[in-house]
Formats: sequence, structure tokens, C-alpha cells
Amino acid sequence: MILLNLIYFLAEVVLACFFFGFGFKYLSHFGTLGENTQLKVWNEELQIYERTTGDNSMLILLFSVFTIAALILFIYILILLIKNVRAIIRLRKEGKHIASFRELLLDLLDKKFHITLLAAPMTTLVLFTVLPIVFMILIAFTNFDSDHQPPGELFTWTGLTNVTDVFLGNATKTHTFFGILGWTFVWAILATFTNYILGMLLAIVINHKLVKFKKMWRTLFIISIAIPQFVSLLLIARALEPAGAINVALMKAGIISAPLPFLSNTLLARICVVIINMWIGIPYTMMTFSGVLMNIPAELYESSEIDGAGVLQSFVSITLPYMIFVTAPATITTFVSNINNFNVIYLLTGGGPFALDYYQAGKTDLLVTWLYKLTVDHHDYALASTIGIFIFMIVSTVSLAVYNHTGSVKREDMFQ
Amino acid sequence: MSRHKKMVSIGLHTLLTVLAVIWLIPVFWLLISSFRAEKGAYTSNLLPQRFTFDNYIRLFTDTRLFNFPRWFMNTLFVAVCSCIITTLLTLMVAYVYSRLRFRSRKGLMNISLILGMFPGFMSMIAIYHFMKAIGLDQTLLALILVYSGGAALNYYIAKGFFDTIPKALDEAARIDGASRHVIFWKIILPNSKPIVVNTAINAFIAPWVDFIFVSVIMKDNYNNYTVAKGLYTMVDKANIFEYYTSFCAGAVLVSIPIVCLFIKIQKYYVAGVTAGASKG
Amino acid sequence: MKKVFSVVCAGIMAASLCACGNQAGNATASDVKAQEKNGAKEQITLSVWGAQADQALLKELCEKFAAEHPEKDWQFDYGVVGEADAQARYLEDPAAAADVFSYPDDQMTTLVEADALYEVTRNADEIKSANVPASVEAASYGGTLYGYPMTADNGYLLYYDKSVLTEKDVETLDGILAAANKAGKKVHMDVSNGWYIASFFLGNGCKLTIDENGKQICDFNNEKGLEAAEAIRKFCDDPAFVTGDDSVLQGGIGDDICCGISGPWVSASVKEKLGDNYAAAKLPTFTCGGKQVQMGSFLGCKVLGVNTQSSHPVEAMELAEYLTNEESQARRFEALGYGPSNVKVAESDEVAADATLKALADQSKFAISQRVNGAYWTPAEAFGAELEGHTGNDLQAMLDQLVEQVTAE
Repeated sequence: MILLNLIYFLAEVVLACFFFGFGFKYLSHFGTLGENTQLKVWNEELQIYERTTGDNSMLILLFSVFTIAALILFIYILILLIKNVRAIIRLRKEGKHIASFRELLLDLLDKKFHITLLAAPMTTLVLFTVLPIVFMILIAFTNFDSDHQPPGELFTWTGLTNVTDVFLGNATKTHTFFGILGWTFVWAILATFTNYILGMLLAIVINHKLVKFKKMWRTLFIISIAIPQFVSLLLIARALEPAGAINVALMKAGIISAPLPFLSNTLLARICVVIINMWIGIPYTMMTFSGVLMNIPAELYESSEIDGAGVLQSFVSITLPYMIFVTAPATITTFVSNINNFNVIYLLTGGGPFALDYYQAGKTDLLVTWLYKLTVDHHDYALASTIGIFIFMIVSTVSLAVYNHTGSVKREDMFQ
Repeated sequence: MSRHKKMVSIGLHTLLTVLAVIWLIPVFWLLISSFRAEKGAYTSNLLPQRFTFDNYIRLFTDTRLFNFPRWFMNTLFVAVCSCIITTLLTLMVAYVYSRLRFRSRKGLMNISLILGMFPGFMSMIAIYHFMKAIGLDQTLLALILVYSGGAALNYYIAKGFFDTIPKALDEAARIDGASRHVIFWKIILPNSKPIVVNTAINAFIAPWVDFIFVSVIMKDNYNNYTVAKGLYTMVDKANIFEYYTSFCAGAVLVSIPIVCLFIKIQKYYVAGVTAGASKG
Repeated sequence: MKKVFSVVCAGIMAASLCACGNQAGNATASDVKAQEKNGAKEQITLSVWGAQADQALLKELCEKFAAEHPEKDWQFDYGVVGEADAQARYLEDPAAAADVFSYPDDQMTTLVEADALYEVTRNADEIKSANVPASVEAASYGGTLYGYPMTADNGYLLYYDKSVLTEKDVETLDGILAAANKAGKKVHMDVSNGWYIASFFLGNGCKLTIDENGKQICDFNNEKGLEAAEAIRKFCDDPAFVTGDDSVLQGGIGDDICCGISGPWVSASVKEKLGDNYAAAKLPTFTCGGKQVQMGSFLGCKVLGVNTQSSHPVEAMELAEYLTNEESQARRFEALGYGPSNVKVAESDEVAADATLKALADQSKFAISQRVNGAYWTPAEAFGAELEGHTGNDLQAMLDQLVEQVTAE
């Protein structure tokens, strides 16, 4: 335990070094996010305007977050250290055995095994997910946008301006947000259920008693998912354009006389993304359902056969409920990931057709693609973060509610 | 009855053939585009006028601008490393949540579940600057860390699978004096082949198809691109006419290993999806 | 496994400590110079950004520069970042951006606001007099020169197939459409793109510019704008009209497309497809409010800028100046066909004989330089997409929305 104290102490020293050597100079500007922009100084010898290094609001904010995290860790270890010292003193007094370092290590492999196992995943989680998310949430309360780009212009705290902007202040942004929110839900529902139902049907067809070469059929459908989505979707997007292969083929066949505006008409574009998403998603659901169908416990059918149930009846009363039950968690995951289905929309339509009544968005944009474009194309970071927080609130509420609901379903254990 | 059966059988096979054709048309389109001799993303003729192998040869010989072989090796390296790390981390977390009971378990599980739903584009910028601060920006190591950093969030499926392994197995081992450490490595892991394979494959495929994280991390460091980012660069505005057919060829080359993997792991894939449902 | 983890952890720890150490090293350029004077031969590493197609030439010119300046030990890092992406890539992380990078002049406003560019203060007068006034003006902001003009061809023109269209046909849009319909061919223009669609509005006398306070001015919703919009709608509804990006034009011209509007960067591929039938002209006139009106256009230049975060600004400036001098511009025209901004090269016989650049020069009389901020592009694309999709919505209402979005603060 004394060695353990030494380790704690070393960690404290490292953290303190980090704080004074690196973190403090960022944290001290945390309140204002920097005051000094980069300045120009005329250098007569070189005949240039030299730049002095100014503050950088973004780095100040980011490293402040990391520094605060380090401080919390520092305090936590300090508490552990004090506790440990106290324990040693108490054990000494009572004349009890003080655990050796070796024993403590062994404990980490057994009673406290969860600490050992979770240490690495949690460290990466905090560094690569939690702290960046905290940073992102803080951005939502600043005015970090294309007009406030460090090092030329600094940004600063603006409180709830972005939130009120989206919901009250700016009519276009409000309209865009709710328009896109509505479509996001329509899309998520359509995308999930078309794939679910049709994938199930396909699996049933392939697994039908009379169908030969089941494995071959499955493989044929699986080939399409093996092509990376950015490739297949890009190809399809190109084919759907006015001069693309589909229009050309339709015109050559004499079915249409002018190119159909697949991607520039709102309704057509929305139908297209849902249909193309079926092309992407059905093989996955087919694979899942095939597996499920093959794994339905035989006893379930035996009892119904005794009851003299027909094919259709046993399907409705056994196959269907079983499949729905088994795939319920996966379906919820699919629904949530469809709300955030970046690839299909971004690669297929890029959110287009763009709309005049939307702010930097189009009629097939999902919240997540809008957020991406605001970040990457327009450097509207503050607005993007605000939207990100709302997406998160919506998605996490939905999924936590549904997960808990299926939890109660599961407890019924109807097929166990 | 048998006539009826025959009709049904013919009907089903016709349906499947039609559907399979629909599903394979884009694949076929990709294939013939990769052998097309005419340049460009569009041609006036639906089918290529001349076929050639040059698009493939060019990927490996003309490496001045697009270093496909190097990108391929980069991706392979990143995929293998992040596959190993992700699989281990995911299984460790899943095992902890499934078997060990401790104070903050439930809270951690719920937080991990919803953290993964945060749209990550903004945090990518933070990650980039963090990587830069520790001197890892524009390196393959950074990419590996990024791909495996979120492993703790994807415990759900593996945990569902572990839950189905009878507790009696652990208990017997504990009576024999095995520590939890030993149980994890010697009992749980060997009994979890489907989920290990499933997790590993998913982790392996991710670097082959992601182009967004790579752009943020690598910026202009061409030599450290992965195939996905490289191919994506081939079809940006300035390059698409010149490189579209090579892009198709590259995509075919990337797809082949993934097709093989998918065909091999079908049954494990299903195990992964349904594991979560069998038990809470 | 634990070993792997501890190695990773140790790595992170060590690296973060290193980072602490590095932070102190952000000294000004003159300090660095002073330190390096002691060494025998100063080693200078400069990173340079250029488009994919320009890489080979960029390398050639940089190596030539190194050979002509043997007093220092040069090393170049080449990054593939095309002009169109320069601003976005730069702003992602200025410190990681190249020392010398090329950008189109329309990105100047944003870059100057972010204090990204060094003023051209060394040899400024020589540079100003060596390049055509329009390019110097385009590379300046508020009277200060912020870059080294490299090309003066960032505009667009009409490419056509001589075997289908005559010189007379291409004078008017109506003539083009009539001839194309007769031959069963298509006319290409990317209407859902703010850059191209502006030509109708600008041609009919509408304004799109930025005033001295940095505010966007756009009056596309006035009477003239409405006339222009009606003309665009008519054009889009014509059976010969086809839209799409450059690759549609590059793939289809000579086959089912007989002419199209794009920039000089497609000229090589169009030439390759058309062969002897290749021809280029200024943009046609179009019928607007019952009259024939010449289509306007944007014309800008590509500029080499020096990054304010550069640790070798003087050397970077020397390189930028070298890459844009007369000799380099002549070589660039020879190798890639880019229209030079250098007065002497622009007047040379070779340049004068180039059909594409001649057409661009003819069009330049009707062109304005691009003073547009980021808010313009998406609404303009939306407007074009409405017309391409034949939605039939009220044009005046759409124009009002367009202007409202473009001029919003």
C-alpha cells in the first residue's frame, strides 16, 4: 500500500506539471476565450509586417476542457491518496496486516477486475468521446462562426443566443430546423420500416421450402453490401442525374421524352432516397431474418402442428412474433442510426434539392447532414453545435425510452 | 397439389431472379465502368465502347498523384491494429457489464449507450487538435486511436451474447479457485467465437469505408491517406473526369476482400444482431 | 493486453509532456533567423499547396527555384489542395496550412478577415506593374496587395462543336437552341450553380457585389432580375437544355452535347473529345424582356498567398514571387494552358493564338470580378434547382427569398 501511495503521488506530480506547464495558460483565459488577436508589426529590415502570436479562442476552450478534466482527476487521486494514508494509519494502529503491493495487484485481477478491464476503454472514451463532446457543447454558447475565425478574429461567450436564434429569433433558421426535424422523423420511420418489412419478406421467400440454392441467393444479395457505401451511392447518384444512365436508358427506351428530375424535385428526391436506402439496407435485414428463421426453436412448431394449425396460421402466430421479438433491439438501433443516417443522404443528394426557404439546407437534409454542412462548408460551428445538442437530446430520449420499454418486454421472456 | 407447388416454385424463383438482377445492376455497372476505356463519369453510350485493363494497371503504376498501393497498405495496417484493439476493448467492457457487479455499473451502461448517439462532426475538430497537441496529427497511429477510441460504446451486442453463456460455467471455475481474470480469458472468450468474429469484422471494415475522419485527421498528408479517402479524392470536382474509371477499379479492388469476408461471416453476423435480444 | 494499454498510455503521457516543451518554441520569424545564422547552410522547409493537376509543374518550378538559390538548403512539402478548397482547408487549422498556397480571388475577403495572408510588401511595385491591372485589383483588398497573381483565367466561356453550330449560331442563345434542336443535340449549362446562373442577372444589369462595409449587395429581385429569371426558366424548359456538372459536359460533348458553358480547366478534355471540331466563343446573348442582352460573367484570377503562420515568411515570399514571375507563368501556360496574368506573357503570340483564352478575353469585357460572400451560393443553387426541376413556382417570390437570404447579415 505504501508503493501504491508512491504511484498516486507520482500521478499527482505529473498532473501538477501538466497543469502549470501547459494547462494553466489556457485556463486563465477561459473566462474571455482570449483578448489579443494576432498583431502586425512592421519589420524594417525584412520589409514585411511580422505577426505576433495572438490568442486562439478555440485552443483556449479546448485545452481548458482538458485542463479542467485533469484538475478533477487530480482532486480525485488526492482523495484516494488521503483515504489510503488514513487506512494505513488505522491498520497500523490496530496492528492488522497491511496489504502488500502484490496483493493489491492480484486483487485487480479478481475482486476489482472491473477496474482493470475498464481502465483502457474508459480512458480512450474520456479522451476521444467525452471531452470532445464537452468541448462541442460549450461551443454552442459562443459565437464561433465564419466571421470569428481565430487567429484573425477571436470568438467569445454569448450565452443562449444560438438557442434563441434557432427557436425564436431567426425565422429562417427556425423554419429550417423544424422542417428538417419533421423530415428526419418521416425518413427514419420510412427507412426503418420499408427495410424491416421487405427484408423480412425477402428472407421468407429465400427460406421457402421450394426455393433451391438458398445459399447462392443470399450471397447474390450480400455482394451489394460489400461495396463501400460511398462508392455505390456515388455511382447511383450519378446515374440519377438528368444526364445520368437511368434517364438516358429511359429515354432510349422511349418511356420518357425529357429527363426526370430525380434529385431536383423535392418529392421525387425523397422517394429516391427511401428507395435507394432499401437497396442498401434490405440485404442486411435479409441476412438477419434468414439467421433468425433458421434458429426458430422446432418445439414451437411441433405444438402448433398438434393443434392442427395451417401454414399461414403458424406463420402468424409463431414465426412473425418470434422474429419481431428477437429483432426488436436491433430494430431500435436501426431506427436511431437512421435518424443519424449521414451516408445515404449526404452521398446521394447532398441534402438537395436546396430550398430557398431553408438556411443553407435542402429538402432531403437530415439534421445530421445539415450539421455537417454547417460545420465543414460554412464554418458555422456555434449553430452546428446547438443543433448537435438538440439531435442528441431527441435521439437519446427516444432510444432510452424505447430501450426501457423493450426491457420490460424482454422480462416477459415469452420464448425462453 | 404438385402442379400448384411447381407454379409456386417457378413464381418464387422468377421473383428472386428479378430482385437479384436489380440488386446486382449497380455492381455490374461498377465492374464495367472499371474496365471502360473512355474517360469520365458520363458517357453518351450506356455501355463502354472499348474495354481495357489500364484503369487497374494505372492504380499500381501511376503512383505520383494517387498512391493507391500505399493507401491500400495504410488501410490494411490501420484496419488490423484497430480491429485488434477495438475487439479487445469491446469484449472487456461487455464482459464487465455482463458478469461483474459494482456500484456505478448501471449508470455507466446508460451513459455509454447514449454517448454514442452524439453526432460527432464537431468533436472531430477537438480530436484533431488534441492529436496535434500530443504530436500525433496526420499519423496512422492517430487514426487507429480514433477508430478504437469509442470501443467502450459498442458493448451492447457483445454483452447480450455474454449474457447467454450460462453463469454455471463461471461459478464452477470460481469454485476451482480461478480468478475473474482467468475466467475471462479461459472460459468466456473461447465460448464466444461468433461475437468475437462479429466485433472484429465490423472493426476491420470501418477503416475501409470511412472517409470523413481521415480527412479531418490527415488533412493534406497524402501519403497517409486510406483507400476510402484516396478514392473519394479521385472523384472530387477537379479529378473526376480524369480518374473516374480508376476510382471504379480501386473500388472493385477494395470490395473483393470485403465480399469474401461477408460471405464467410454470414452466420456470425446474425449471431451478433440477435444476441442482444435473447436476454436483457 | 494490459501491456498494449500501458504502452499506449505511456505514449500519450510522454507525448503530452513533449507537447508542453514544444509550446515554448513559437518564436517570431526574426528570432529563428538569428539562431540559424550560426549554421553553415540554412535549412528551409516550405510547404506548398496546389491542385492535383498542377503538382508536376509545381514540383518542377520549386526545384528550379531551389537550384537558383543555392545559398540555402531547400526542402519542399507538396500538399494537394486545390484552389477551390484552399480557404476551407486553411481555416481548419491555419498553423498546419501550407506556407505558400494558391486560392481564387473570391476567397480573399474571408482569408484577410481571418488574418491569413501576408501583405505583399517586398517588390510590391514590380509585381503590380508586371501583372495586368485587373489581376492586381483582384488580388488586392482595401488597396493592399495580398497575394501574387498567378493566372487571370478564372472565368467561363462557351465551348462548342463546330460541326453542329456555326459562328453565327453561337452569337445568340436562341440561335444555339434552334440549331441544337434541329440536330437533336443538347446544350449544357449548370444552372443550379450560383457561379454560372449569375451570368443572366449580371447581363441584364443586376448588381452583385460587396460594399465598403463588407455587406453583400444583391438586387436580383428587381424588374430586370425578374426578366432575367424568366429567360432562365425558358432556357431550362427548352428540350435541348441539359444540366449537370463539368463531367457531364466533358463526357457528352461531341456525342449528344453540342455546346456547353464552363471554365478553361475543362478545355484540354473538351479539345481531346472534339478534335478538329473544337471551338470556343464568348457567352451568347439571350432574349430578355424582348431585347437581345449579352450574358455577363465572373472573371477572377488565382493568387498565390503567403501564410501569416509561416515560420519562414521571407523565403515563402521569394518562392511565391518566383512561382508567379514571367518565366513561371509562361511555363504554366505551356504545360497546362492556364491564362497568364503577367502582362508580357499575356501579350505573347502563343497566348493570343489560344482559342480558349481568346474567347475568355472576349468575354472579359462583360465580366465583373467576383465579390460574393459565402451566403450567396446555397440560395443561388436552390433557385437554379427550382428552375431545373420545372416546379413552376412564382419567380418574383423566389427572387425575393433569394435576395433576402443572400443579403442577410
